[in-house]
Amino acid sequence: MIKRVSGEQWLAIGVIVLGLFMAWQIGDIPNDSGYAGIGPRFFPTLIVTGLIVAGGALLMQRRHRNGPDTVIIDGEDDAEQLEAEEAEQRGEADWRMFAIASGTLIAHMALIGMIGFTLAGTLLCFGICRALETRRPALDLVLSFALALGLFHLFKWLGLNLPALMPGGVL
Amino acid sequence: MESLNALFSLGFATALTPANLLWALIGCTLGTAIGVLPGIGPAVTVALLLPVTQSVDPTGALIMLAGVYYGAMFGGSTTSILLNTPGEAGSIVSALEGNKMAKAGRAGPALSTAAIGSFFAGTISTILLSLLAPVIAGFALQLGPVETFSLMMLTFAAVSAVLGNSPLKGAIALLLGLGIGLIGIEPQSGQSRFTFGLLPLIDGIDIVVIAMGLFAIGETLYTATYENKMKAGLETMSGSFWMNKSDWRRSWKPWLRGTLIGFPFGTLPAGGTEMPTFLSYSAERKLASPEAQKEFGKGAIEGVAGPEAANNAAVTGTLVPLLTLGIPTSATAAIMLSAFQQYNIVPGPLLFDTNPELVWGLIASLYIGNVMLLVLNLPLVGLWVQFLKVPRPLLYGGIVLLATMGAYALRQSWFDLMLLYIVGVVGFLMRRYDFPVVPLVVGLIVGPMAEKHFRRAMSIHQGDLTVFLTHPISLAILLITVAILVVPPLLKRRQRLLEAS
Repeated sequence: MIKRVSGEQWLAIGVIVLGLFMAWQIGDIPNDSGYAGIGPRFFPTLIVTGLIVAGGALLMQRRHRNGPDTVIIDGEDDAEQLEAEEAEQRGEADWRMFAIASGTLIAHMALIGMIGFTLAGTLLCFGICRALETRRPALDLVLSFALALGLFHLFKWLGLNLPALMPGGVL
Repeated sequence: MESLNALFSLGFATALTPANLLWALIGCTLGTAIGVLPGIGPAVTVALLLPVTQSVDPTGALIMLAGVYYGAMFGGSTTSILLNTPGEAGSIVSALEGNKMAKAGRAGPALSTAAIGSFFAGTISTILLSLLAPVIAGFALQLGPVETFSLMMLTFAAVSAVLGNSPLKGAIALLLGLGIGLIGIEPQSGQSRFTFGLLPLIDGIDIVVIAMGLFAIGETLYTATYENKMKAGLETMSGSFWMNKSDWRRSWKPWLRGTLIGFPFGTLPAGGTEMPTFLSYSAERKLASPEAQKEFGKGAIEGVAGPEAANNAAVTGTLVPLLTLGIPTSATAAIMLSAFQQYNIVPGPLLFDTNPELVWGLIASLYIGNVMLLVLNLPLVGLWVQFLKVPRPLLYGGIVLLATMGAYALRQSWFDLMLLYIVGVVGFLMRRYDFPVVPLVVGLIVGPMAEKHFRRAMSIHQGDLTVFLTHPISLAILLITVAILVVPPLLKRRQRLLEAS
């Protein structure tokens, strides 16, 4: 019987893939044998092996409400039911909001060098407010700007160099 | 008695200078504020302050960071009691009874017993720290690289197997942290590892980026995705603020018991504050008088007093291994360790000889900070409650703005912002699938140290791996490590089989 792959199992697959990718990268570490046979590859090898094994174990593991170490007797399996209950408790995922938050962060990353800290920061703070479903966007936009501008000048005063829109500027 | 001498002649002399008093006050105030604010904890705050403290002298900076650390524990109780959303893991239990008390119009006594209990526990634990630390440091001087490496293995096993509800997920988080710790130039051979040919990765990934990404960005992504619909009601304070005679009578024993449960847990490598607070709660529930027992679940003051004391005692307890062995046992302690490293100071047994003013000044500042926090939290609690009225979207917007600024200021590079977002997504996934974060942070910081000690041990003993088993102290530590990994699952299995038969 083929079962649906749960999110947790996808994550386990991700861990294994990461481990394999790192294992491939170990080949790039020059292996001068180091002192007493312990070279710069030794620890990476241990950790990568650990990641692959642990990822594999997580993939095989069945979830159980009494904890992951429970001995499962007589094919009793409540993993799916447990997941449904947890999902209900957690509430439905709102991926649109995840996308807004992510988009805001990425836009900020791209823009900070171009339009300066203050404006990019305003955009960032306001975008996060939108992602958290603010009910008073206009006010938040004003406050975001005030916060970003305040931080910009505070840290300029403290000697931290943040990019400005205008050279030597106020923004 | 030598330690008392050092504490008074060196410690208080250092801590009572105006500059250091000011640092302590800043730290405690900031700590209380971030403790009160949901969504931002001491780990992220200490990380955010790291770049700012670079130009401050080490003693003052560490006094401030310590103030943030335990100040957050004081402030966390306010949020638990009035908002029923614990700001910190250690305040989860206080929310159980504390919020019920607030609903019944007894918010004042709940806040009072939390603050006074925290003060009481913090002070007793600091006394224990002053007495114990030099003794443990003296013992630790005998530990060579072999024993230190074994001790680090014990820490890894304990933080990943004991914290959280799945040892396997703890292990994965730990390995991720260890793996991230490998990125960059390997100091002994000068070879670069896992840099993927990217120049910015040569210095490794900064702890600031990891802490901000996991705690601030990950948390914000999670809140945006899952918790927009959740509404928390702020309880108002009404009625008498002070504890009455019966409150005092019912509080002092839980404070004492909480302290005695919390402090040892803090010193263990499996530190953390969740376990001692839960233990203290269940102990109080069992030991309470019959009429008080009926109140449990409806707002029993014992259920706030005990856990809050345990929480603060545990935090002070984590300073014992940090200062004497150089081993952090919580996320915040791990980031504080990197603050030490920033000044090229190695915490550990030698610290008491090489930097006595710093260590004793830091310990003395804990006594002073506790008094400051009592004042900040009791009469001024009304002020902190105003913080809770900041609307959540704006609060998170501000946190993210600060986090990105902290990451960007490191090197003025968008590359760190990209790393920050990637780590944030990892943090989101870890939160969503219940992976503990502490093992990752501890692995990241302690991993490179462990590798260094391992190699040193190997070069002293000509690559003989059996030294870890032939040195008696190392063997004992490794046996405890194995026991931590093997015994709990076996016990669980046995219990389950017994139930089934």
